[in-house]
Amino acid sequence: MAALQLLVNGVALGAAYALVALGFVLVLNATSAVNFTQGDLVMAGGLLAVALAPLIPLPGIVLLPVVLALMAALGLLLALAAYLPLRRRPPASVFISTIAVGIILQNGAAILFGPEPRAAPPLFGDGTLSFAGLAVSEQSLAIVAVAAVLIGSQQWVFARTQLGRRLRATAQDPEMARACGVPVTAMILLTFAIGAACAGAAGLLLANRYFVTPASGGDLILKAYIAVTVGGWGSVPGAVVGALLIALFEVGVSSVLSYPAALGALYLTLLAILVLRPQGLFGEAVRRRG
Amino acid sequence: MRRALPLLIGLLAASSCLSSGLSSTARADDALSFPVLVPLTGFLSLEGTSQRNGAVLALRQTPAGIAIASEVVDTGTSPEAAVTALERAAGGGTIGAVAASMLGTQMLAMLPLAHDLKLPLITVSGTASITEQGNPWVFRFFPGDAVTKAAHARYVVEELGKRRPAIIYQTTAYGQSGKTHLDAAFKALDVTPVFEEGVDPAAKDLLPVLTKALAANPDVLVLHLHSAPTALLLRQAASSGVTLPIVAGSAMHQPSTAALLEPAELKGVCAETAASPISGDSPEVRAFTDAYRAAFGKEPDAFALGQYDGMTMALEAVKAGARTPDAIRKALSAETFKGLAMTYKSDGKGNMAHSAVIVCYDGTSRVPAVVKRYDDPALAAK
Repeated sequence: MAALQLLVNGVALGAAYALVALGFVLVLNATSAVNFTQGDLVMAGGLLAVALAPLIPLPGIVLLPVVLALMAALGLLLALAAYLPLRRRPPASVFISTIAVGIILQNGAAILFGPEPRAAPPLFGDGTLSFAGLAVSEQSLAIVAVAAVLIGSQQWVFARTQLGRRLRATAQDPEMARACGVPVTAMILLTFAIGAACAGAAGLLLANRYFVTPASGGDLILKAYIAVTVGGWGSVPGAVVGALLIALFEVGVSSVLSYPAALGALYLTLLAILVLRPQGLFGEAVRRRG
Repeated sequence: MRRALPLLIGLLAASSCLSSGLSSTARADDALSFPVLVPLTGFLSLEGTSQRNGAVLALRQTPAGIAIASEVVDTGTSPEAAVTALERAAGGGTIGAVAASMLGTQMLAMLPLAHDLKLPLITVSGTASITEQGNPWVFRFFPGDAVTKAAHARYVVEELGKRRPAIIYQTTAYGQSGKTHLDAAFKALDVTPVFEEGVDPAAKDLLPVLTKALAANPDVLVLHLHSAPTALLLRQAASSGVTLPIVAGSAMHQPSTAALLEPAELKGVCAETAASPISGDSPEVRAFTDAYRAAFGKEPDAFALGQYDGMTMALEAVKAGARTPDAIRKALSAETFKGLAMTYKSDGKGNMAHSAVIVCYDGTSRVPAVVKRYDDPALAAK
């Protein structure tokens, strides 16, 4: 029963991690850029929810669309400031510029909100439901449900709509897409917006149960990076599965051994995957763009 | 890359400007300077901000007739930044004393420079080794782990009558130091913990360690965690229906930690700390708390009060005629000072604070009550 309880917690945590990894991999696919601001965007989403909560004294689910919209706008700004001016430069330029933007976000958050840990409102309620001896918090269920809806709807858009086809075309070959009339710059901007919105959603989901501080984005970007590497560099399903694996490692292995052992096991597993299956579990290679 | 470099420099400069927006300066030509060099960003920003506020409040209440200057500098989390800040401050006029970072690694880096420059460092750092360097220029106005963890263990064993503690600590330097001193304190009381495990500060779900701790059949949970992990574990314990008494580390006493939890989730939770200003157990402490709230719009904690007391003692030395850093150092080394949190007296190494308190929450509010005071508990435990 305890194992089942831990599994439930692991899946809820993994769902939130999946949103972080999803935003990361979307930008990676569209631009070949490693967006190291993603963790700080999660922090920004969480603090945004904290700031909005007194203004909109309703359950977090009502805040969610507002947070998504504002974070999408922040994603556009990020693309305009840190990616587009450097898009024809070596990848390291974008990598460094996103780190710099992350530092600005952290310091801005510290000035605006102070260093105290804060909690965002729950999505629906903060009660606990009992199923056959399992205690499942309403927030955990809400996290899984919201993450599933966001990830599923995003997959649907990418697979079934004209917009999705344009986004995928931009990700696969921007030059060819442009030649075919796809507004590549607009698609890249949209990708950054979607990625930031995903991060914002993750921030809102995580900040209720696990709290948020201006410095809390750092470990999340590392987890997103590992998730994308484990799942397959550039694979959207891989990122989701990788995120779930990380959370289950974090919760599962630590319940048997310890947290330090869980971290060690995670990195050893990552190393083994890189050696035995360099393309990751889902094996979608990302082509270098010249 | 040629275009990237100016952009990066611009972005970092903007970020730096944001950080320095936290600084303030006030200068007078013949004034003694009291720089405040503390971590306002990074993982210790919560405690560093408290430290800054305590120092600033003391300096604002400088006794009449004394001209002082002060500058606040964010030292971040790197030792290099702290050393640079101290070097910079030393070039800005006659320094009376420095409110120095509570981050142990930064203190250890600043100590040799402070020795060379002959500048008193006043800190609330808990790192034991900063007063073990034979450096006469450091003064710690916060009880070290040897004091607080002795009080922690004594309360568990002597007051609660528990002999099967499960210890959950942080894997950081702060956590390791606390755990070492807790082990020693329990050993002195002839008690062996039934469970001990370190937790990474980045761990999001603490149910695994809680489950394992409970499986060891303890009669009390003893925590030594940072602020957010403390709140997270207490919340998970409450939602899991844990009824064991919980005695936490000093992070629990911080109002920002309690603010993360419902009062009901705090019922029966106790914590060790140097002081609890919001508990207001004297008119003077209540006055300090009111002044702090008015100045910063926040609730004060023990770090703020400790730094306030430290700076106040230095200012009292100035008031008594000390006009050089060495004269202030001598006063700090020799005098006994009745501060708001406790009475301070150097042990010859710069350890000024030798008292700790235990605070407990009754489940109806987020303001704890001081239930037990220990004066020099480490000595008493031996």
